[in-house]
Amino acid sequence: MSASRSFWRRGDQEVSLARLYVMRAVALLAIWGLFEIVETLFVHSPMDRGVHKALIAALWLLAFLAFRYPLKMVPLLLFETVWKIIWLLAFGLPQWWSGVGSPRLSEDLWSIGAFPIVCLLVIPWNYVWRHYVTAPAERWR
Amino acid sequence: MATTAASIPAAPADGKLSPLRLNVMRVIYFAIAFLEGSQVVPALFVHEPTARGVIPALLSGFCLTCVLGLRYPRQMLPLLMFEMAWKYIWFFAFGLPQYLSGQLPATFGEDFPAIGFGVVIMPFVLPWGYIWRHYVKAAGDRWR
Repeated sequence: MSASRSFWRRGDQEVSLARLYVMRAVALLAIWGLFEIVETLFVHSPMDRGVHKALIAALWLLAFLAFRYPLKMVPLLLFETVWKIIWLLAFGLPQWWSGVGSPRLSEDLWSIGAFPIVCLLVIPWNYVWRHYVTAPAERWR
Repeated sequence: MATTAASIPAAPADGKLSPLRLNVMRVIYFAIAFLEGSQVVPALFVHEPTARGVIPALLSGFCLTCVLGLRYPRQMLPLLMFEMAWKYIWFFAFGLPQYLSGQLPATFGEDFPAIGFGVVIMPFVLPWGYIWRHYVKAAGDRWR
């Protein structure tokens, strides 16, 4: 009974054990889901710009760290949330509403546009509030 | 003993970084957030109606998140690690092979100096000792 309670509750820890598992699951999902782009680092057209692939490959690499240290890697989850919301507001939703969009719009709406919802559920907001908002700024001198 | 200790810049204790290091990191967060930001954010507002938009959104999101690094440079370190990682990956998987082969995409002239600059300076910005202690040797977050 108490074991199950301590799984769901934070107690004197930073976040609950359940939260850590969910964050790790997202890291695993990233490792699994982004791998197909990582493969293209080695096999690509010689004229490929490559910026998108390099950005995604770096996220894939850091997802391993996020699996081991979910809390320390929270900034990456914040970044994921922010860029995907930006994409939705600047590209995804306007294109969806206007009916004129990129050829990959419907695929991207799922793979990019739906992810902020996952992030909003997964990020430990209380922890973010304590450590990234109300905590005193790190020293200047 | 005391003289030696005083003549050497205070070695940061475990878990801390010197103010110099924190401020160097802040300079980079600032450069990403505002200098790079001013280059990439306009593409969110002015673009082809059918643009896919992934690169402008990724870069703008990164610039925006880096604003938090000004207040918490140490806690936001994963962002600088990301910055170094993607630039090195691009350099070795795309930039350098393209430069050597002479087959250059239209964006190469803009990308190579911008990303190459990061490749040169990021190793000097990242606090490697701290990363080693906190992101490699430290025990992972708990499992039970």
